[in-house]
Amino acid sequence: MLTKKPPVLQSFLSLVSRRASHLARQQYDVIVVGGGHAGTEAAAAAARVGAETLLVTQKTNTIGALSCNPSLGGVGKGHLVKEVDALDGLCGRAGDWAGIHFSILNRSKGPAVWGPRAQLDRQRYREFIQSELLSTPRLTVLEGSVEELLVTEPNPEEPGHHRVTGIHLANGSHPILASSVILTTGTFLSGSLFVGQTTSPGGRIGDAPSSAGLSHTLRERLGLRIGRLRTGTPPRIVKDTVDLSLTNLHPPDSHPTPFSFLNTHTRCKPEEQLPCYLTHTTPGVDRVVRESLHLNCHIQQDTKGPRYCPSIESRVLRFPGRRHQVWLEPEGLNSDLLYPQGLSMTMPPDVQLRLIREIPALHRAEIHTPGYGVQYDFVCPTQLSPALQVKSTQGLFLAGQINGTTGYEEAAAQGLWAGVNAARSALSMPPVALSRTESYIGVLIDDLVSRGVTEPYRMFTSRAEFRTSLRPDNADLRLTHERSHKLFEVRCVSSLRYQEAVRVRDGLQDALAALQTLTLSTHLWRKKLPDIGISESKSTILTGMDLLQYNNVSFEMLASVFPECLSPYMEFSQRLNIEAVYRPHCDLQKKEIERIQKEENMTLPQDIDYFSLPVSLSQEVREILDRVRPSTLGAATRLQGMTPAAVVNLLRYVQHTGQRGRRTHRNQPDQKEEREEELCARNASLPQ
Amino acid sequence: MLPFTCRGIWRAAVHTLRTSRGMPPCRLLSTCDGVPPGLADAETIFALSSGHGRCGVAVIRVSGPASATALRCMAGLTRSLPPPRTALLRSITDSQAKEVLDRGLVLWFPAPHSFTGEDSVEFHIHGGPAVVTAVLQALGSVPGMRPAEAGEFTRRAFQAGKLGLTEVEGLGDLIHAETEAQRRQALRQMSGELGRLYQDWSHRLKRCLAHVEAFIDFSEDELIEDGVLNQVDRSVCTLQAEMVRHLKDERRGERLRSGVQVVIAGATNAGKSSLLNTLCQRPAAIVSPIAGTTRDVVETALDIGGFPVLLSDTAGLRDSLDLVEREGVRRARERVEQADLTLVVVDCAYLPTDVQQAAAFLQGHLKSVLQTQEQPETALPADRYLLVLNKTDLVPEDQRQKLDRELRQVSGLPPVCLISCHTNEGLQDFLTVLHSNVKTLCGDPLSGAPTLTQARHRAHLQQCVAALAQYQRYRDADLALAAEGVRLALTSLGRITGRVGAEEILDIIFKDFCIGK
Repeated sequence: MLTKKPPVLQSFLSLVSRRASHLARQQYDVIVVGGGHAGTEAAAAAARVGAETLLVTQKTNTIGALSCNPSLGGVGKGHLVKEVDALDGLCGRAGDWAGIHFSILNRSKGPAVWGPRAQLDRQRYREFIQSELLSTPRLTVLEGSVEELLVTEPNPEEPGHHRVTGIHLANGSHPILASSVILTTGTFLSGSLFVGQTTSPGGRIGDAPSSAGLSHTLRERLGLRIGRLRTGTPPRIVKDTVDLSLTNLHPPDSHPTPFSFLNTHTRCKPEEQLPCYLTHTTPGVDRVVRESLHLNCHIQQDTKGPRYCPSIESRVLRFPGRRHQVWLEPEGLNSDLLYPQGLSMTMPPDVQLRLIREIPALHRAEIHTPGYGVQYDFVCPTQLSPALQVKSTQGLFLAGQINGTTGYEEAAAQGLWAGVNAARSALSMPPVALSRTESYIGVLIDDLVSRGVTEPYRMFTSRAEFRTSLRPDNADLRLTHERSHKLFEVRCVSSLRYQEAVRVRDGLQDALAALQTLTLSTHLWRKKLPDIGISESKSTILTGMDLLQYNNVSFEMLASVFPECLSPYMEFSQRLNIEAVYRPHCDLQKKEIERIQKEENMTLPQDIDYFSLPVSLSQEVREILDRVRPSTLGAATRLQGMTPAAVVNLLRYVQHTGQRGRRTHRNQPDQKEEREEELCARNASLPQ
Repeated sequence: MLPFTCRGIWRAAVHTLRTSRGMPPCRLLSTCDGVPPGLADAETIFALSSGHGRCGVAVIRVSGPASATALRCMAGLTRSLPPPRTALLRSITDSQAKEVLDRGLVLWFPAPHSFTGEDSVEFHIHGGPAVVTAVLQALGSVPGMRPAEAGEFTRRAFQAGKLGLTEVEGLGDLIHAETEAQRRQALRQMSGELGRLYQDWSHRLKRCLAHVEAFIDFSEDELIEDGVLNQVDRSVCTLQAEMVRHLKDERRGERLRSGVQVVIAGATNAGKSSLLNTLCQRPAAIVSPIAGTTRDVVETALDIGGFPVLLSDTAGLRDSLDLVEREGVRRARERVEQADLTLVVVDCAYLPTDVQQAAAFLQGHLKSVLQTQEQPETALPADRYLLVLNKTDLVPEDQRQKLDRELRQVSGLPPVCLISCHTNEGLQDFLTVLHSNVKTLCGDPLSGAPTLTQARHRAHLQQCVAALAQYQRYRDADLALAAEGVRLALTSLGRITGRVGAEEILDIIFKDFCIGK
C-alpha cells in the first residue's frame, strides 16, 4: 500500500477543476459537503459502498488539511483510527504515510488501553488523502460553496417531516440533486474567529466563511435544535527561535508501529523520525493570562468549551499556581514550525508573544501564526439516528464537529459511518448500526445520539464499557471480519482487506489451537523454561495457553522451545501474547454483551407518542423520551433521568407490542418464566 | 394525621403479605402477569390495609385513577374533594343502596404525592367485620374498581419510581415481617441505613475508578503522578476489608428474616422431644419412655423474645440396625451441621457424680454425638452450642446445685443449663440464655452495623470483593485489567445502589485533575 506514490498535487487540482468545469451530472446518489476528516471519510466510504458520490468543498487544496494539531491517534483516539482502518477508511493509512514520529502511548498499562499515535507531516497527510480520493471510483470532487439545501415534502412511506433532495451552490445556476446529503461542515457552521478583542466570521483562519444560508435552513426550515460550542488553536512557533536545549527531548518509538492492518511498516524510516520536546509553563504565564483577561473576548464568553482540551487561559484560571506541560511538536519533516500543544490561546497577538516568552525555552521565540478561538454552531446530536441521519429529515446525514464532537479521529469515525449509511439509504438498503459492545465507533455514536453533548465530545477509553474486548489490536477481527456479512456485501470493505482479515483470523485460530494442544507436565515445563517461576502447586499438566498467561512468558520464548509447531505463527506473536491474557476476561464479558445486544435489538418505534403511551411513566420521563426518541430499549436505559420503573415499563411495552405481532403463539409457561427472569435481571441492573 | 398515614402504609404492607406469603420480594413485579401489561395500571384497586379480624379502626386503601370517584361516591362529596392529605370526618355510604354504612375519616392523596404515586384514598372506619365487608362491597360496585392483588400497592409504588430497589426489598421484608424485631430491621432498611452504607462504598469506589481511569486516559500527556495509583491501592484495600467484615456478619440479616435455625440433638431418651414440647407449650412431638421414639425431624416455629426461631427436634443419635432409624440419625446429623444453634440435651442421670469426671464425660459426649466432618478435632465454638442437662428432678438437690455451680467454671464447655422438662425447673434461666444467644445470632437490629437482609445483596457484595481482588492481582502487570476489576466491583455494587455511568466517572476526573490535552 505504501509503495504507491501519490500523484503530485498539481495533477490532482487540474483534474478536479476539469471535473468541476465540465460537471457531467446534475444528480448523484450522495453529496458530501466539506472536505475535512469527516467529509473525506464519508465521501470515500459512500463511493466504496457503491454510490455515485460528489464531494463539495470551498477549497480543494485544503482537502485533508490538519487544521489544528499535527498528530493522529492517542489513547482512545488510536482505537478509533484502528477501527476506521478496519472498515477500510483513509486515516489509518494516511497516518502511516505521513507519520514522522510514531509512539504507542500507555505502553506500560496493558494492551487494551495502548494508544497508537503519530506526529504527522501536514503536507504528506494532505497529499495522501487527496490522491486516495482521486483514485476512488464513483467519486467526484467539486470546489464550491453550498448556499442552501433543497428541502421538499417527505416521502409519506417513511418517518420524517421533511426531505432533503440536494444542494444549491452559491454561484451555481442549477441545483445538484442527490438522494442523500452529508453535512460535515466542521467549525464553519456560523463560525466566528476570536483573537483578542476582534471577532470575524469564519471557521478557520485563511478560509472564507461559509454561507449563512445553511445554518438558517437547518434552524428555521428543518427546525433543528442548534447549540454553540467553542474551541481554539495555539500559535505556531518558528522552530529556529526556540532554545531546544532547555526542553526535554521526547524520542519516538525506535520501531514505528503502523496504524493500518494492511501495513507492515511506515513510510518514514525509524531513523528519519523527529522528536517532540517537553517544557512547562511558569508563574509568568499565569500572570500574563490574568493581566490580559480584559483583552480576551473569547474567554469571557460563556459558550461551552472542552474540559479536556482547554486553552491556557482556562487552565490557569481553573488550576492556578500549577506548572502545566507544553509539548513542542514538529509540523513536518521540512517544516520550520513547531506546534505548542497545551498553549491554545485567544488573547491579542502581542500578548501571545509576551506569554510564550515567559517560558524559558521560548524566551526568544517568534510566532509565525497567532493562536485563535472559534465559536461554531452544532446540531444537538440526539436528533440523529444511530445511522447519523437526522430523524426528522429524510436524506440528511451529519458527521463530525457539526455533531458536537472534537478531534480528527472522532470526525473520521462518524464520517465513515455516515457515508456508509447515506450510500445505503440512496441505494434503498436499510441502515446499519454499530453496537457499543463491538466498537469504539459504536460507543461514540451511541453516546452522541442517545445522550447528546454539553461540551465538545472526545473519545476516552473509559467511555467503553467493554474495553477489555474492544482493543486496538483486534479491531480487524471485530469489524473487518465479524461484520463482513453486512459490510463486505455492501463493499464498505475491499476484498483485499477482507481476505487479509480472514487469513489473520485463521492464523490466530490455528496458533491458539496449537498452544492449547501443547501440553506438558509442570516438571517438564520447568525443565524447558528454567527461568519461569512455575509454582509446584499448579495442576500438573499445563498448556501453552496457560504458560502464556504468565507475566514473563512470551510467545517468542515458547516458539524458541517448540519451533516445529509454533514458528509458523511468529507474525502473530504480539497478538497471541495479548489474546492469551485477555481471552478469559473477554469470555466473562460475553454474557453481558449479549444482554445489551438483546436490548439493542428491541427497537422502539420512532413515531411512538410517549405522552399517550398507556403505560405508567412519569411526565418527566415522558418528556425525556419524547425529546431524545431513543431507537432501542438499550439506548433508553442509558438516558439520564430514566428510572428503573420506566425502563421496566418500556420493556413490557416492547414485549407486549412484539407479542401482539405473533398472537398465534400462546404464551408457553417457560417463555413467561423467562420474561419474569428477564424483568428481575433487568431490574437488578437498572440505574436508580 | 401523620401517624395515621404511616400506620396505613404499614398495614397495607402487612395485609398484602398475608395473601402473598412465601413469594420472594423480587417477584413483586411479576404478580400481575395475568393482566395485559400496560393496562394493569389503568385500573383502580382497593383493599383492606389493616389486619383482619376484630380491631378498633380498619383502614381501607384505594389507588388508581378512579380514586376520586370512589371518594365522591362513598363520602357523599358531590362537588369538591377534601384538601389533600387532610383527615375529614364523613358518613360512609353505599351510593347504590343509598345506605349509611359507617361514620369515619377519609383522606385524599392526589398523585403524585401518595404511596403509590397515583391518586389514592384512605377510609378509616370502625373495625367490625360487618362494617368492613359492607364498605369493601360498596367499593367493588363503583365502576372501574377491583380488589387489589397481593403486593400490588408496592408494585405500583415501585413502578412510579417511589421506591428504590433497596427500599422495595426493605418493604418486601416489611411485608414478610412477623415479629417485632423483623419489623424494626425492615423499617431501618426503608429509611436507608443500609442504602447509606452502600452509597458510601459506591462513592469511594467511583473515586478509585475515576483516578485509575484518569491515569489511563491522561497520564501520558498530563501531570498525573504515580501517587494517584498508590492512593487507589490503599482505598481498594480498605474497601475490601470493610466489605469482607460486613459479609462476615454470619448471615445475621438473613437469619432474622427466615428465623434462627435451632436444633435439639443428643442421645436417645435424653428428653429432646420433651424440651421441644416444653418450649412450644404444646405436644408437637410424641414423647415416650421408649428410646428412638423420634425418627424424623420435627419442626416448629417459635417467637423467642421477639426473634423468629425455627426449632427442630431430631432423632436420638445412636448406632442402630433399624433402617428407618438410621435415616433419622443421618438427618439429625445433617441438621446439626446446618444449625445456627444446637441444644445438646443430656440426661442428668447418666452423669458421673464427680464433677470433674462429669465435665470430661460431657466433653467426650459432645464430641462423639456432634462430631462434624469439617472440624473433628477443634474445639466446638461456644456460641453455637448450648448444653441442656435435663431431668434434674431425678438427681438429688445438692448434687444438682454442685453441678450447676461447678460446671460453669469448667473451660472448654459450652454454656450449661440445668432444667427439668417434667417440673419446668430451671426453664426460665434456660430461656434467658437461649434468648441472648438468638439475639446475638440475629444482631440487634437497632444497633451496630446494618446487616444483610437479602441474599442478593450478599451475592453482589461477594462479586464486588472478588473484583477488587482482580485489581490487586493485575495492578502491576496490566492496568487495564486492574481497572476492569474496579469497574466490575462498581457494577456489582451498582446492582444494589444503581448504575454508575461513564459520564459520572469523567466528571470526577475533571473535578480532580487538571486535564489539558
